[in-house]
Amino acid sequence: MSNLIAIFFGMALVNNLVLVKFLGLCPFFGVSKKLGSAFSMGVAVLLVIVVASAVTWPIFHFLLIPYGAEFMRTVIFVLVIASLVQIIEMTIKRTNLTLYNALGIYLPLITTNCAVLGITFINIDQAYTFSESIIAALGAGAGFTLVLIIMSGIRERLDMADPPLAFKGTPIAFITAMFLGLCFLAFRGIIR
Amino acid sequence: MHSFTKNFLRGIIRSNPTFILLLGLCPTLAVSTSLDNAVGMSVAFTCVLLASNIIISLIRNHVPVRVRIPVFIVIIATLVTIVDLMLQGFIPALSKSLGMYIPLIVVNCIILGRAEAFASKNSTTNSIADALGIGIGFAWAMILISLIRQLLGTGKLDLFGRHLFTVPGLGDNPVAIFLLPMGAFFVIGVLLALFRWMGVSTGE
Amino acid sequence: MGTRTNGFFPVIFLTLIVFISVAALTLTDAITKDKIELAKEDEIARMLITLFPQMDGFTYDEQNDLYIPLAEQQPLGRAFIAEQSGYSGVISILVGLEPDTTLRGIRIIFQQETPGLGAKIVESFFLQQFPGLAVDDIKLTKKGGKVDAITGATTSSSAVVEGVRKAILDKLNQLGRET
Repeated sequence: MSNLIAIFFGMALVNNLVLVKFLGLCPFFGVSKKLGSAFSMGVAVLLVIVVASAVTWPIFHFLLIPYGAEFMRTVIFVLVIASLVQIIEMTIKRTNLTLYNALGIYLPLITTNCAVLGITFINIDQAYTFSESIIAALGAGAGFTLVLIIMSGIRERLDMADPPLAFKGTPIAFITAMFLGLCFLAFRGIIR
Repeated sequence: MHSFTKNFLRGIIRSNPTFILLLGLCPTLAVSTSLDNAVGMSVAFTCVLLASNIIISLIRNHVPVRVRIPVFIVIIATLVTIVDLMLQGFIPALSKSLGMYIPLIVVNCIILGRAEAFASKNSTTNSIADALGIGIGFAWAMILISLIRQLLGTGKLDLFGRHLFTVPGLGDNPVAIFLLPMGAFFVIGVLLALFRWMGVSTGE
Repeated sequence: MGTRTNGFFPVIFLTLIVFISVAALTLTDAITKDKIELAKEDEIARMLITLFPQMDGFTYDEQNDLYIPLAEQQPLGRAFIAEQSGYSGVISILVGLEPDTTLRGIRIIFQQETPGLGAKIVESFFLQQFPGLAVDDIKLTKKGGKVDAITGATTSSSAVVEGVRKAILDKLNQLGRET
């Protein structure tokens, strides 16, 4: 149990997807201008990461390894994630229109989001068990959402700030990300 | 030949993937800690982009519209895996330091973006020009960032095991924060501001 | 872009592409498989040779997960891989033992500690403290051992030291049980 907690917080805070692993940078800078959309994007990514981890783990361990086809990992995973995103999108559209209106436009973007594929690779590379993979995925998704929300909060204020002209917009967002990363550096060492 | 030059030059400065379009930043930031990594990643990236652009422009008139994205993804993923296996087999040290960022080239928005926006609509010659231009644009951005991070972060400049020179005063006390992830954010933020100050418009 | 033909063509086309992809990858895998295995062995060999400079080859004892460096077919000692969580992530260490249980030395195979602080565990001023230590001395100085921690990186230093000592004890235990 303590092991699972360590993995969760390790993924969410210490090895944060965006700030340490540099995965999912496109949505991080693209969708972090408004708090509401940042939250929706975060939840959508969390959802896809967890489902993708739950599906790719058995595929790798019960299909690819027994047939000695580990080299097919990238191709299979990327296809699985692309289909999963489609299925999730259709399911949400049919069952819950409110949720679809909130998440709908972000789902297709996630297909080429390196965060999702990255987590499925990390699960395999770290030799996580099935439950560990799910927890790692939950942690990574939670960490992603957290950082996206913090960043959008800061950026809403940044719009009103007055940085040097050359820094306005994206450059200052990168500098902000640096300070955010510095703060998260303090989490290093909480997992022994 | 006019359109070849035009398509080639476009990716290098005017629509530079890193500094102007701000696309495919994951590998640019993650592995730019040393010049070796930057060169290795740029070569791997350009090979995949070039091959994918060539193949997709060759079959562009036969791909059914409905399945074009899955087809592109399979082609790109196959190429990436080939590059990944080759690196593991022939340059293991580089493969190890680039780690999972090599297979992650698959989801690099630039490559799928070029397949969809350019190679599937243009001739093979133009697609080659486009791939080379974007590849060089990606490479110089990556090398510039890694050069700054390595010089300040280690105080030394090494390339493929050869020591080139030591920065006076930094050799013993390097600013190690440039090797940390936040160093990457800082460097690219300042570079973007610098380019804007010089009058280059970076797109949002 | 091809025109939208009848319903089955897209599916057949996609299947065809997947088949070509599988064929291409199987071929690449066949070509590179041996190379990749060799490269992995090479890496261990390169590290082993810095610990046992006179070695001219090594064997791998699969049952006990031990690397045995050899010189003219004679074993020079034993080596194995230890893993321990450091400040950020797992540190993996190659531990070399003399034929008795004293430490021949250690090499860091993989680490992702903080650059400028914890990452100094790979530097020789830290590593050269290890050769010749008895198992009980592999502790930090402030815990009664003989290894000085790196300034500002006690956690990383301690992870290496503890990882090495525990791994040696475990390994000797495991070997003792079997003989």
